[in-house]
Amino acid sequence: MAGIRSYGAYVPRTRLPLSMLGERPGKEGGPEKAVAWNDEDAITMAVGAAISCLEGFDRTAIDAVFFASTTHSFREKQAAALIARALDLGRGVRTVDHAGSLRAGTTALRAAFDAVSAGSARNVLVVASDARMAAPGSALEANFGDGAAAFWVSEQDEIACLASHHALADEILDVWRSEGDPFVHSWEDRFVVQEGYVPRICEAVQGLVQQDGGELGDFSRVALYAPDARSHATAARKLGVSSEQLVPPLFGQLGNTGTAFAPMQLALALETTRPGQRILLASYGDGAEALSFEVGDAVSKLEPRRGVRWHLERRRPARSYDAFLKARSLGPSEWDPGSNPGLSATIHFRERDEDLSLRGQRCKACGAVQFPAQRVCETCFNKDDFESVRLSDRIGRVVTYTFDYFFPTPDPPTVVTVTEVDGARIHLQLVNCTPEETRLGMPVEFVFRRIHESGGRPNYYWKGNPVEDGSPVEA
Amino acid sequence: MANPESIRDKVAVVGVGACKFGENWDQSPSDMIVDAAYEAYADAGIEAPQQQIDAVFTGSLYSQKGPHECSDALKLWKPVTMVSNYCATGTDAFRCGVLSIAAGVYDTVLVVGYDKPKDRGVSGPSVMLDGVRELPKTPAGWFALCASTYFEKYGAGREDLAKIAVKNHHNGCLAPKSFLKREITTDDYFKARIISWPFGLYDSAAQTDGAAAAVITRADLAGSHRDDPVLVKAVTVQAGPNPQKDPSNDFLSWKPTGWAARDAYAMAGISDPRSEIGVAQLHDCFSLTELLSYEDLGFCEKGSAKEHIADGAFELGGDLPVNTDGGLKTFGHPTGATGVRMIYENTLQLQGRAEKRQVADPKLALSHNIGGHPTACGITILGPS
Repeated sequence: MAGIRSYGAYVPRTRLPLSMLGERPGKEGGPEKAVAWNDEDAITMAVGAAISCLEGFDRTAIDAVFFASTTHSFREKQAAALIARALDLGRGVRTVDHAGSLRAGTTALRAAFDAVSAGSARNVLVVASDARMAAPGSALEANFGDGAAAFWVSEQDEIACLASHHALADEILDVWRSEGDPFVHSWEDRFVVQEGYVPRICEAVQGLVQQDGGELGDFSRVALYAPDARSHATAARKLGVSSEQLVPPLFGQLGNTGTAFAPMQLALALETTRPGQRILLASYGDGAEALSFEVGDAVSKLEPRRGVRWHLERRRPARSYDAFLKARSLGPSEWDPGSNPGLSATIHFRERDEDLSLRGQRCKACGAVQFPAQRVCETCFNKDDFESVRLSDRIGRVVTYTFDYFFPTPDPPTVVTVTEVDGARIHLQLVNCTPEETRLGMPVEFVFRRIHESGGRPNYYWKGNPVEDGSPVEA
Repeated sequence: MANPESIRDKVAVVGVGACKFGENWDQSPSDMIVDAAYEAYADAGIEAPQQQIDAVFTGSLYSQKGPHECSDALKLWKPVTMVSNYCATGTDAFRCGVLSIAAGVYDTVLVVGYDKPKDRGVSGPSVMLDGVRELPKTPAGWFALCASTYFEKYGAGREDLAKIAVKNHHNGCLAPKSFLKREITTDDYFKARIISWPFGLYDSAAQTDGAAAAVITRADLAGSHRDDPVLVKAVTVQAGPNPQKDPSNDFLSWKPTGWAARDAYAMAGISDPRSEIGVAQLHDCFSLTELLSYEDLGFCEKGSAKEHIADGAFELGGDLPVNTDGGLKTFGHPTGATGVRMIYENTLQLQGRAEKRQVADPKLALSHNIGGHPTACGITILGPS
């Protein structure tokens, strides 16, 4: 039976204290929201969540990638194909973008179950990710947060199977973002809640319960999408969800992560569930839908992974509201990043294995690993005799470093290293690392990031993230 | 390896010239080339360059105009070659000129190095965002990569770099054509902003406009130009692997310098560089680069530079004065000109014409450029006739 085999999540490390929105200093311990920083976006967060989801598994089994977002950088050009390339899934994968509605996350999930049940795909990676922008100073700003969740849908080792599904469509102009507009707009909030969100999400949940011939009390966990904390409480009260059942909506910690909100709620529920429990998940956007899951025995065998809780425990407060505006390109800047033609598309295409999949090569004669690909071995000078190797899932070691104050970034300095991985040396920027924390020999994992916006387009590459326990790197 | 006997004493420098280095807002590349070349002509007693110069070797990193820019400025309708080798461009242009004479192809050759970075509208080198793998593409970020490793292994630090900066600021004050003429204190050094740790403002060379030129000729013809020609003892350029990728790089030295030094010392017949060389112009794009070069060139043991710095060995009154004209730091660093500017300074030193910065006994004079990540090194050794 089609079910979820694994899951993962991603929350940006940077948190914006909500007090800063009122031009007050950041308050430790006060409400905050997770914000994608200048090198993060819907794509990088999706890759981060997907890597957590795939951790410990043979990723070559994945034969389809369904991506859901409303904030992918391109109107024309697929995100799922880029995500699949970053994950090094091979060209045999079917890639689909689900977009346009905040409901796209659960829609993509449902589509994956359909595909696996129908046999048109065996292992579907579903990733939902959003970094929506509210206009600075708008009422929406305090509620929005950024994040991603990923699921592996398969008929093997299911930790939770889809039991039932109930959906309804609606035409309502409550929240929207028009072509070319960077900011989400909303009609009067009372209308949005009273005529949109609350009645529709209740209708979807009640419809599913009735359809199953059961009652809401049958569910151990109930996870509800909501635009804000107050409407979430209203919907939960109307439905009669008990506080034990209710998956915490994380307002004041994470924020409303758009298409990723409901999927992240599901990931959070899976992190704390036991075999035999039933989970109900409801999402909203141009209608509403509810999905119910039955948790299987395999859940207790799944190795712990980076879920929502793991990420929430790791945080770094933004330095200032101004730094946040700079990180999201919302402040005026002297230079327009789109004022030059940017990376050559042909070079970008030729280098996609290295830049996007972080593939290097191993010399078949001497065994030396090098990055990027060379025609002549740097070590033994053997020619054209290499095998391609993935480096993105390896652990590197910092060989040397500097702190660059000259490179344009909202938070100078940039920690720049030469990092060795399996013998190959890579010029690599670090994330989540201050100069005081930087050490020679420190182990780092690779994370997919936006490296710059030359040409007015996002350009992606890998950075190093210090490995937390600092465990020694295998030789 | 080069044949060690192939170059030594076969080619002479008979004239040198340089324009004023600096932010030459009112000068075009042509203006600077003419200033430098005509000073070199006068120095060599050349009155009819169109008849007396057989060929031209020119070098520039930023020019997009090719060899024509130099030949058009000077109206020299000759064989003209343009050389590009990052910051070693000037030394490489000089080398090609020397080779052409040593090979017997030409008698008298003009070498011109120049660059005009101040027409680009940015202070310092621009951050190039044309790739993703080598970011940040700031030279300070590249050259700083030896610091954490070297400091940790040998216990050196910014206080040692400060002494190099103070020295080069002092020497620059004594060179008429240098860009910066301002003494600095250690306190100034530590108060300046950081560019890429450990490099602050005073660790970093001043990027300027400038041009420098040399007239070189067959050694046996040199006497017809000057009584005190300077002989080329060695000139070499060495390529090395990208230090960021090189799996055997220990980030304690820049490999091409050691390789080029071995080659140059063999050519010049030098066995003990510290005692045989009396003055040196080293590539101080950043202070640490100068420090590493003391060791990579064999002036002192690896790891010991800070002791020799503390002893003042490389100051004007020391036993081996380095960057007597202020170096890249204060004389200025117009990339293609720098190697030729060093030959200009060493020639003046060997001829006793360096005025307030004159070294008492210059013996042999070495100049050194590194370029790229760095991925190249050029070395020239000159001596008295």
